[in-house]
Amino acid sequence: MSTIGESSNPLSRFMSDESNAINASSGPERSHVGEVVESSTTELVAEARQLHGAPSFGQFVRVDSEVPIVGIVFNVFTHSIEPNRRPTAYGKTEDELRLEQPQIFELLRTEFQALVIGYLDEMGPVQILPPQPARIHSFVHVCSEDQIRAFTHTDDYMRCILNTVKVPTDELLIAALRQTMRAHGGDRAYLVRMGKELSRLLGDDYDRLSSIVRRAAY
Amino acid sequence: MLVPRRKRHGIGRGRSRVLRKAVGGKKGAMLDLFAVKNQIDEMVADECRAQEDFREKLEMAVQAYRGWQADWQTLAEKIARSRTSWLMPGIVEGLDVTPTCLQRPEKISIAATDGSQIFPDRHEISSCFLINIGYILLHYGTGEKPLMSSKPTLYYREEEIFEEWDGRRVFVNRELVGTKRGLMEFSELAALSLAAQEAGHSVLACSDGTLIQWSLEGKPHDFKDYVLGETMRDFDALEKAGLPVCGYISHPGSQDVINALKLGLCPQDTADCDRCPWRPENQLGCSSEEKEVLQAQLWNGRVPCSPLDGISDAVLMRQILKPGQRSPVFRSSSKILESYGRHWIHFFYVHVGQEIGRVEVPEWVAQDESMLELVHACICDQAEKGQGYPVALSEAHERAVVRSADRESFYRFLRDTYVKNDMRAHISTKSFKKRHVGI
Repeated sequence: MSTIGESSNPLSRFMSDESNAINASSGPERSHVGEVVESSTTELVAEARQLHGAPSFGQFVRVDSEVPIVGIVFNVFTHSIEPNRRPTAYGKTEDELRLEQPQIFELLRTEFQALVIGYLDEMGPVQILPPQPARIHSFVHVCSEDQIRAFTHTDDYMRCILNTVKVPTDELLIAALRQTMRAHGGDRAYLVRMGKELSRLLGDDYDRLSSIVRRAAY
Repeated sequence: MLVPRRKRHGIGRGRSRVLRKAVGGKKGAMLDLFAVKNQIDEMVADECRAQEDFREKLEMAVQAYRGWQADWQTLAEKIARSRTSWLMPGIVEGLDVTPTCLQRPEKISIAATDGSQIFPDRHEISSCFLINIGYILLHYGTGEKPLMSSKPTLYYREEEIFEEWDGRRVFVNRELVGTKRGLMEFSELAALSLAAQEAGHSVLACSDGTLIQWSLEGKPHDFKDYVLGETMRDFDALEKAGLPVCGYISHPGSQDVINALKLGLCPQDTADCDRCPWRPENQLGCSSEEKEVLQAQLWNGRVPCSPLDGISDAVLMRQILKPGQRSPVFRSSSKILESYGRHWIHFFYVHVGQEIGRVEVPEWVAQDESMLELVHACICDQAEKGQGYPVALSEAHERAVVRSADRESFYRFLRDTYVKNDMRAHISTKSFKKRHVGI
């Protein structure tokens, strides 16, 4: 079925279905930043919609699924899409490369991994792992400040991060804290509450606590 | 240094049992590599000897080329009146020009296509075949997103897998599929570049390989007419749109220019290879004095033009051209070009840095100085960007290529679909035996 956009572009016949679909979905109503390509109960991998266009480390994301799933980005990586070809150095700036070697940007892909920390149901945020993982090809959105505020009202997200072994725990905690503080408008009472919760979670590891607090407040 | 466990089992002292079996020359080994090794040694030794001879020949070729530069018209006239058994180039630009490539226009789009296929296999569950075309459109100087895609087409209908040429109905073979693929590559290249021009780009169309349909010589007339008709239709459209097109041949083995120099070596004023007086079979009526004279003109006991045997144009041009320079334009004399009309293929060699490439263009590009300069500049630029080979062509290949793993997946997918639809999925016994060899 041809759309208006397709018939007006003489080149559309030669484009891949994928890029035609992306062109068709480039309207403002599609605000996703990525699409899930690997999914499990505890974490997911998503392909960024644009090269270098992944959400930042520590950002809260929401996956459009049967039950919307909430996660925190803990790893972003860009790589070649073809296993037997790897990027080589050209000695040119990115702008020069875009003008003179435009094909290389078609051969790279940005992906990001997110730690699943809960989901949303009719009642609001639920701070436990979802009953089913996100479906492959679901769209990933960046959480709005309201959603972050609602989700970080309690300290459960911090516990979730601290209990995960394969992520850079402290760094992720700091990045997430900075996000939540912005969402809470730098509310001092919230900050103090989170500090107390964190000190409880870290037990008597004072050095670690002070390092996290100092860097989160930077 | 730590060596990964896997590597330690490679060819070397610690050969695995499996590998020892394969190269051990035991009864039953599939390819006896030890036996081949001896033959490879002999081959390389022979080639080493030939190389010394080759340097001398090459020196002669360079001297002959330079010798004709000032007086190329004489050679051109000799070519015109002689009858040789080899392809002779038409010298249209002299021999003494070696233009250096100009700066590529800042904004230009390069279109390229390439094709690949899964050949029909009557031992498989279906005799269908597949052609995959890779499309590349790279826009330079604008930062615009390039087009890089591929489209597969499956052929399975009765009229697609059986063709009738010259009154004979044949099952499509590799050759026919290859020709069909070549045709599609070119017609899709024309369509892609014309569409890009329509979208407002200034375009150069690059085809992978020759623009001369050599393989049609000796084919049934109606088949030849069909293929040429399609090709000419695309050339017509490109010419009408003023859209330059070229074919790039990497590592060319052609000897057109060398053939002209060989003719130059012939002592006869008008050469006729069929009646070559130096060949013993043509000396039947000669007196012994005449034979002696002819004998004295031989080169190492062979006909006078033989010193240049085995040298290709590319090897010669490597000595003549500097990086970025191109040879003069020559007119190809392939017989099939008689059907090309005003699209008669011309060619030149170009030193792209890593190698000498051969670039073919239709007559209307060869005669238009600005188009010719554009082709020359863009090919050099493309090769520089692609570390020696035009980047648009190598990307088109990457898009088109169907690797053996893809072929396996294709047939697995086909089998699964047959089974899902309750269709009998039957492969030949031969094919079955190849996969499940008993003892």
